[in-house]
Amino acid sequence: MKNIRNLALLGLVAILSVPCAWCSPAATGDYFVYFGTYTGFTYMKEGLPAGGSNSKGIYVSRFKPATGEVSKPELAAEIVNPAFLAVHPNQRFLYVATEDPLSLGPDFDHASYVSAFSIDAATGKLHLLNTLPTGGTSTCYLSIDKTGRYVLMANFGSSSVTVLRIKEDGSLGEQTAFMKQVGHGKDPSFQSQAHPHSIDVSPDNRFAVVSDLGVDKLFIYRFDAASGALSPDTPPFVEAEEGGGPRHFVFDSAGKFGYALHEMSGFVVVMAWDPASGTFTKVQDAKSLTPDFIGANDSAEIAIHPNGKFLYESNRRFRGPNLWGPDSIGVFSIDAAKGTLTEVEQVPPRGTMPRQFAIDPTGAYLFAANELTGNVVLFRVDSNTGRLSPTKTELKIDVPVCIVFVAAHQ
Amino acid sequence: MYPCASYLWLRTSEPHDFIFSAASLRRVSDCFLVVKEINIFMKPIRSMFCLVIAFAFAILAGPAALAQDTDFFVYAGTYTGFKWVHHSKPYGLGESQSKGIYVSRFNAATGELSEPQLAAEVINPSFLTISPNHRFLYAVSEDPLSVGPPLDHSSYVSAFAIDPGTGKLRLLNKAPASGTSTCHISMDRTGKYVFMANFGSGSVSVIRVKEDGSLGELTSFIQNVGHSVAPIQSEPHPHWIGPSPDNRFVIVSDLGMDQVLVFRFDAATGMLSPPGPPSVSVYPGGGPRHFTFDPAGKFGYQLSEMSGVVDVLAWDAAQGTLTTIQRAQTVPHDFFGGNHSAEIEILPNGKFLYESNRRTLSETERAPDTIGVFAIDPKQGTLTPVEQSLSGGVMPRNFKIDPTGKYLLAANQISNNIVLFAIDSNTGRLSNTGKEIKVDTPVCLQFVPAGR
Repeated sequence: MKNIRNLALLGLVAILSVPCAWCSPAATGDYFVYFGTYTGFTYMKEGLPAGGSNSKGIYVSRFKPATGEVSKPELAAEIVNPAFLAVHPNQRFLYVATEDPLSLGPDFDHASYVSAFSIDAATGKLHLLNTLPTGGTSTCYLSIDKTGRYVLMANFGSSSVTVLRIKEDGSLGEQTAFMKQVGHGKDPSFQSQAHPHSIDVSPDNRFAVVSDLGVDKLFIYRFDAASGALSPDTPPFVEAEEGGGPRHFVFDSAGKFGYALHEMSGFVVVMAWDPASGTFTKVQDAKSLTPDFIGANDSAEIAIHPNGKFLYESNRRFRGPNLWGPDSIGVFSIDAAKGTLTEVEQVPPRGTMPRQFAIDPTGAYLFAANELTGNVVLFRVDSNTGRLSPTKTELKIDVPVCIVFVAAHQ
Repeated sequence: MYPCASYLWLRTSEPHDFIFSAASLRRVSDCFLVVKEINIFMKPIRSMFCLVIAFAFAILAGPAALAQDTDFFVYAGTYTGFKWVHHSKPYGLGESQSKGIYVSRFNAATGELSEPQLAAEVINPSFLTISPNHRFLYAVSEDPLSVGPPLDHSSYVSAFAIDPGTGKLRLLNKAPASGTSTCHISMDRTGKYVFMANFGSGSVSVIRVKEDGSLGELTSFIQNVGHSVAPIQSEPHPHWIGPSPDNRFVIVSDLGMDQVLVFRFDAATGMLSPPGPPSVSVYPGGGPRHFTFDPAGKFGYQLSEMSGVVDVLAWDAAQGTLTTIQRAQTVPHDFFGGNHSAEIEILPNGKFLYESNRRTLSETERAPDTIGVFAIDPKQGTLTPVEQSLSGGVMPRNFKIDPTGKYLLAANQISNNIVLFAIDSNTGRLSNTGKEIKVDTPVCLQFVPAGR
């Protein structure tokens, strides 16, 4: 059997010498950029169909941070209303909130869903693993814990936050936590009940912080990474700005400060974070609105530059029916010791309704997603001053509302 | 406070139980067959081994095998207490001495009911359901972290394995119910899913049950949307959920919406459709609480909490629609106090319907609490009053008819007693046997065949 043995050996050598795409991929420095969208609701508003969109789901582009080159977006997965996306820490899985696909309008929201996808590391295409209910309605935010074993969701409509287990193969398992938030705020139009709008774990994975737009509070839960359970912290919340509507929240990279962006007031509240007790102490109210602005403000996204020196936040504004603007992306410098903010500039997003933006992992570029004008604009980031300068690159995507990056291979 | 676990063994090991039943003999012969197969190569010691095995099996199978067809475990769900604070003061059901779920042994031939024993320590097991194979019990844990109605955070559901010999419960796992103030739990007909009605957060949810009886993933979540006329009806409050006889639909009684909702149910995925086929409304302000199908699956009976009305509904099993055919009043015309009807059940022979009523004469005076008995017209499904029987205690929030249909156990939440009534299967009438057991804050009863 000598010949056969040699042949088998040869075969083994051949197999071993083939590059193994999934075990130790060669990073290219490129990224896949995924865009979440609204594909449309089937509801009626003031007697007319509303929510028209030509989007079919999640789109993907290939992005080269070295040159700023971005490929034309392609459909990565067909799915209803992928309004928020989160990437697994291992970069192999993508989790997507499907906002109320059966909805006949906000008054009839019955359920949102979350889907797990595996990412094709070569093409960026998404392969559906499974879909489960989020345990709430109008799920508007999801994030992954630091261990990659849980997905945390904020259910805006039904006032709850929920946690689902992520299995070894990336698919979704059982619900490990459900927490209802109760109360109301000052503004009866948006704050007659609790509206959790974001949920993120603390840098040490021991706590979860929830922005509640409806009750003007940041809820703090103890997070048990062994079981995935949430339990109210002591005290269970910190008061946010009255009528402000906390929407999105971010920790600084050192885990010393928290920044809460308020949707209605446009305030960024700076708080010192005590990781031992899980408590916040207010440090500063930073305004993103100029005092002479008259109209409505809806701030949306907040992010810190990878170098930790600058903070960005987006503002959607309007002065009357069909009188949009001036929309902006605010740039603030961060005091390294005190965590406080100083405004650098307010930059027009080159579109209407910048509901989301994202800074690429290298910190060289910022992608601004303008929901109403259906365009994503690429800005160059000056890492010394924090300033944004628009490039000529602009992508056409229908109703873009979320952007995430995944390292590309091959 | 309660006698040790061995007491239950003493109770169940009464002389008349020491008879080899057909079941135990069957088990012994099964054992011989198995031993025969595995001992082909062990001929010399086979017969001896067989004897030992047979003897051991007879002993091990003891309490299970000795059970009769009329022996049941009766489980009592309770409130163990809330940490409620209302207007800065402790409030509500914080006084309970209960530690969880209690079990008694019940002999439906003799009406004998043993002293309750703690079957499992669990917080606020306010509703229980049993798997179709009688091996598992699922219990709601109503808002164990609650520090008052403004901060109701979450209800949970726990899966337990039932020890067929002792009735003791062994925790398998627990999961969030995906809602608050979860007040009702039931199973689909296949035993693969549990259904929950989350009164507080206005939703219903479905969780998969794994082969080993433990709880898996949330397979469905539906938020109810709507309101009705009474102050408590400013938002939806699902109070009951259960499958249709053919398992293709799920019925939800919503106390807040004054509606009986029907959802399509997919037993392959555990998914509920959005509401539809069309729902049916009760008289405004009624507050649909508990629902039951008749044994033939032709009619549905919806008890409304505030009005005390039983809506008799014709069930179209093909379309999944309910049509109101009668609104039967359970509150006497000359009663002018407050009424909160609670539980509804039909006798296994299909001839009589029972429903419990918690009543108040004034803010401080409770009574008369009753269990109403109604005769069912076999063709039309309509109800005719037979009698209103006193429940033998205060606040009969729950009652249960034993599977043989001979007895009814009434759980009185405030007087902390479970009272045994004999049922006349010809007239439907109840007679208080004078027997009762003491359980703190009993709010749910379920029967499981013992040791079978």
